[in-house]
Amino acid sequence: MSVWSTLNRTVFKRTSTFALAVAGGTFFFERTFELVSQSIFENLNKGKLWKDIKHKYEN
Amino acid sequence: MNSVVRAGHLAPYFKSSTQVVANSLKPLVVVPTPSEKTVVLPLPKTSTVEILHGSLPIQGLKVKAGTRVPAQVRFAHTDISYPDFSAYRRKETQDPTSKANETIDERQSFTYLIAGAGSVAGAYAAKSVVTHFVSSMSAAADVLALAKIEIKLAEIPEGKSVTFKWRGKPLFIRHRTADEISTEKAVPVDTLRDPQHDDQRTQNPKWLVVIGVCTHLGCVPVANAGEFGGYYCPCHGSHYDASGRIRKGPAPLNLEVPPHTFMDEGLLVVG
Repeated sequence: MSVWSTLNRTVFKRTSTFALAVAGGTFFFERTFELVSQSIFENLNKGKLWKDIKHKYEN
Repeated sequence: MNSVVRAGHLAPYFKSSTQVVANSLKPLVVVPTPSEKTVVLPLPKTSTVEILHGSLPIQGLKVKAGTRVPAQVRFAHTDISYPDFSAYRRKETQDPTSKANETIDERQSFTYLIAGAGSVAGAYAAKSVVTHFVSSMSAAADVLALAKIEIKLAEIPEGKSVTFKWRGKPLFIRHRTADEISTEKAVPVDTLRDPQHDDQRTQNPKWLVVIGVCTHLGCVPVANAGEFGGYYCPCHGSHYDASGRIRKGPAPLNLEVPPHTFMDEGLLVVG
């Protein structure tokens, strides 16, 4: 507990480091979020997407 | 008789004591006050800071205890009742006597972590909104669809140059014969006005893909005409060879080769 509280003190104390952490966090969050939400969407719509029925139309 | 001494503005210059003891320090004014019964003024019922501050004689009053008799002004703050804030306190500070400094890091970093997570979500939302609206100004899907052209190469016989309309300009696809290929590859690059080897202009030597706009003043050259077995521009007499390079005439540059890719099933995609 004291480890992350003292560690976060180095990040959260200054606005510049805080903003840097937010920017970096957004980058990873965006990638992960889009990956996860895309996989959920494709899972919920299995069998209806083009890539699932493409094999029927390949001439 | 009860008295409360209020020094006011002259407080820094007064020294008040029950007994005057001679010492080397010379005070400006010595006001001997008789030791009397201590007076405790009842406090007002409400206990806000402002009312307390107004009811107490604390403005500029300096009281020093005498040497033998203790003289004090006590503010009765020990019997003030305050509400129980334990419903609002965090777990670490439930005990009102706990030191705030010990747990300040944990509590602060927890709060800042929540704020940081909210900022990350907000930044993601802002970026999505901005990119959504800015990308709405980019090219529409139908424009992009017209930007590429797919050509079935099997339909073009050897030796023939076929013209397609692409992006408003004529596109020449020439199925070259073996003779033409070897001739073009053998041409020394130094003799050319716009030196380019045939390999630089074709990915697959059997197929020449050029835009049919003369680099002189923009006329459309005629296929299979001219002295070099390629194209001839009738407007001002520019001769192009079977690789679309300028050989003779006023044109300064070779015919433009657009970006193209050969797909697996005998398809050529230009653009």
